[in-house]
Amino acid sequence: MKLRKAISIIISKFTIFTLHLLRRGGTTLPGKIALKIYPGILESIAKDFEIIMVTGTNGKTTTTRIIEEILKNNNINYITNKSGANLLSGITTLFIQAVSPGGKPRHKVALIESDEAAFNQVTKHITPKAVVVTNFFRDQLDRYGELYSTLNAVKSGLEHTAENTALILNADDSMCASLGEGTSKPVFYYGISCEAYQGNSENVNSDAMFCIFCKSKYEYSNHIYGHLGSFYCTGCGYKRPAADLECTEIQEAGSSFTTVKWTCTSSLLQEKKEFVTRINLPGLYNVYNAMAAAALGLTLKYSADTISEALQSFESGFGRMESINVGDKTVKLILVKNPTGFNQVLSFLALDKQPLNISFIINDNLADGTDISWLWDVDFEQLNSVADNIDRLVTSGIRGEDMAVRLKYSGLDTSKIKIIKDYNMLIDEGLKGTRSGGCYYILPTYTAMLEIRGILKKKFNLKEFWK
Amino acid sequence: MLDLNICHLYPDLLNTYGDRGNMLALQRRAQWHGINVAIQNITIGDSFDASAFDIVFLGGGQDYEQEIIQKDVLEQKGSEIKNAINNMKVFLCICGGFQLMGKYYKTWDGKEIEFLDALDLWTVGGKERMIGNIVFESDIISDEGKPLKIAGFENHSGRTYLGSDIRPLGKVLYGNGNNGTDGYEGAVYNNVYCSYSHGSLLPKNPLLTDHLLTLALKQKYDTFSALNILDDTFENAARASVIQRILK
Repeated sequence: MKLRKAISIIISKFTIFTLHLLRRGGTTLPGKIALKIYPGILESIAKDFEIIMVTGTNGKTTTTRIIEEILKNNNINYITNKSGANLLSGITTLFIQAVSPGGKPRHKVALIESDEAAFNQVTKHITPKAVVVTNFFRDQLDRYGELYSTLNAVKSGLEHTAENTALILNADDSMCASLGEGTSKPVFYYGISCEAYQGNSENVNSDAMFCIFCKSKYEYSNHIYGHLGSFYCTGCGYKRPAADLECTEIQEAGSSFTTVKWTCTSSLLQEKKEFVTRINLPGLYNVYNAMAAAALGLTLKYSADTISEALQSFESGFGRMESINVGDKTVKLILVKNPTGFNQVLSFLALDKQPLNISFIINDNLADGTDISWLWDVDFEQLNSVADNIDRLVTSGIRGEDMAVRLKYSGLDTSKIKIIKDYNMLIDEGLKGTRSGGCYYILPTYTAMLEIRGILKKKFNLKEFWK
Repeated sequence: MLDLNICHLYPDLLNTYGDRGNMLALQRRAQWHGINVAIQNITIGDSFDASAFDIVFLGGGQDYEQEIIQKDVLEQKGSEIKNAINNMKVFLCICGGFQLMGKYYKTWDGKEIEFLDALDLWTVGGKERMIGNIVFESDIISDEGKPLKIAGFENHSGRTYLGSDIRPLGKVLYGNGNNGTDGYEGAVYNNVYCSYSHGSLLPKNPLLTDHLLTLALKQKYDTFSALNILDDTFENAARASVIQRILK
C-alpha cells in the first residue's frame, strides 16, 4: 500500500506540474488519476489535517472565503479549494498538492468547500472536525433530482463523520436545522432573530412548506426570505431551534456593506458580549454567510475579535460580486445561479438610485444547470416597482432568447429589452449606455461568468483581477 | 370586454421547475389580447368549484409534495375535476399534474399509488430520470399549415402510458417524452392538455398558449371566433434557438 500511495502521489503531482507547463489550470484530472491508482489515497493523506467543511446549496463559496479570512487573521497555515473545484477529484488534487512526495502534510488546516451532492462521497474519504451547512434551496434540480434528495445526501454524508464532528447549522432553515435533530454530535445553530428583520409574508413558491417530520404545514412567526424564518410545526412541534449565535439587529443595509449587531450564547462564548460589525458585503443572504462563518470560528475557539475583524476586512471572493473600473464607469459582475440568489441580487439592484443598465447572460452548460426553467421562479416582477428607473435590459448567452422572454412576461416595457449575443458588442454597448460615474451591471451564470471575465480581461488589459 | 378566470390548483405544492411560467404566460397573453383575467389559487382544504373557472392549471411536484396532495385530490376535489373534464373545461397539466390525472403510479419497486382516474393513462416509476431538452411535434395545433414544433425541458422518472381512449399531444422529435419508448409526448382528452415538458412550456410556445386561450373563450362565448396576432419575436427566437440547436 505504501508503494501505491507514493506512486499515486508522484504521478498525480507530475500531472499537476505538466498541466501547469501547458498553462492549463487543471484541478480535477490529477485527483482523478490519483484515486484510480490508489483509491485510499485521499483518506490516507487527509487524516493528518484538521478539516473544516462547508456545504449547502447557496452561499458556500462566500462562507468558505470568510472562514479563510478568519484563518488568516489567526495566522493559521491552511489549504483551501478554489475555482469551483468542490467535487471529489478536485478535493483530492488539493490534498495531494498539500503534502510532500512522501505524503507528509505541509499545512495544519484544510478548509474544504464541498458540493452538496458530492458531500456524501467526500466524507467517505475525509473526516471533518466541523461541518458548516448553509441552507437548502432549489438549485440546479436537474442535476440532483429533488431538493429532499439533496438533503438526504448531506444527511447520509454526515453519518460517515466522527462522533465529535461539530455541526454548524442554519436555525432558520427547517431543512438544514433538521440535520441537528436526533444526532449525538455537537450542534451549533446560527440565524437571524425576529427582532433583526421582519420579512415579507409567505412566498407561495416556497421550497419547504411542509414539515420534514410529519408533513403538516409550517406556521411562521417571522419570515426572513424564501422558507427561512421562525418556523414551527403545529403537527409535531418541530420548530426553529434556539440559535447559539445570531444577528440581533441590522443597523444599516448599504449597497456594498451591511452593519449588524450579533451575539452568542455561552455554548460558544463564555462572556456575554454584543458585537457590532460592518460586514463588507451587501444583502441578507450574506448576513447568513457571515453568521455561519462566525459560528464556525467560535466553535474552533478562535477569538471573537479576530472573527469580527474578518467579517469587516473580507473582500468578495471568486465571482460573487466583483467590480472593475473602466474610465469613470464601473462594471459590476454578479453571479446568478438559482432563484433565491437571483431574487436577492434583484432586490439589491432596486436599491440603486442611478438609471439601471443591466445585462443578463444565461448559459445552460452542465456547470450552469442544463434546465433554465428556474428563471421562471425568479421574481423579475419586482423590477416593475423600479420600472421608471430602468434604462436598458440586455440579454445574452446560449439562452439569451429565453431570458428576453422571461423579462417580457414579467410585464416590463419590451422596448427596453434587447438580445445581443456577441459579448464584445454587449460590453461596448453596455458601457456606452452607462453615464459617467455610473454602474453597468452584468449578471452571468457560472460558465458565462468565466467567458465574460476572459473578455473583460483582454479588452481592458486587466491583470487577474479576480484573484 | 371578454373575461377569463384561471385557477392554479395546488400552487404551493404542484409548482416546480418554473411551472409558474405557464400561469404567467396565460395571464400576460390574455391581457395582451385585451381580455380581462382573474387568477385564483386553490390548494389543500379549499373547496373547488370548477364552474367558476375557464382554465385550470396543475404543475409538477416533488414526490414528497405529491404524497401530501393525494388524499385531498382523491377525496375532496376528484369528482369535481372529473365532471369538469366531461363538461369540456380547459385543463393544462404538467409532469406531476399529468400523472395525477391518470389511474395510478406504480413505483419501480412495485408499490401502487392510486391516482385520480380522470384520464385513461397510468405511470410506472423508473430508476433513471429522463432529463434534458425535448422537442415534439403536434398536429393538433397548426403552425402555418404544418404541425407545430414545441420545445421544452423534461425531468421525470415516471414512465407514462396512454390507454386506447386518449391521444398523445405530439410525437417526440428529440428527447424521451412519455416513456422513452413509444415516441409520444403528453396527452389530450376533451380539452385537457397534458405534457411532461417544463421550460416553462407555454412562454416560448405562444401558439400553444393561444390555442388554450381560444378553447376556453370558445367554451365561454358562443360568438367568439379567433384571437388577434401578437408580436412574438422573442418567443419565436427562444423556441427556434432550442430547435435549431438540438435538431441539427
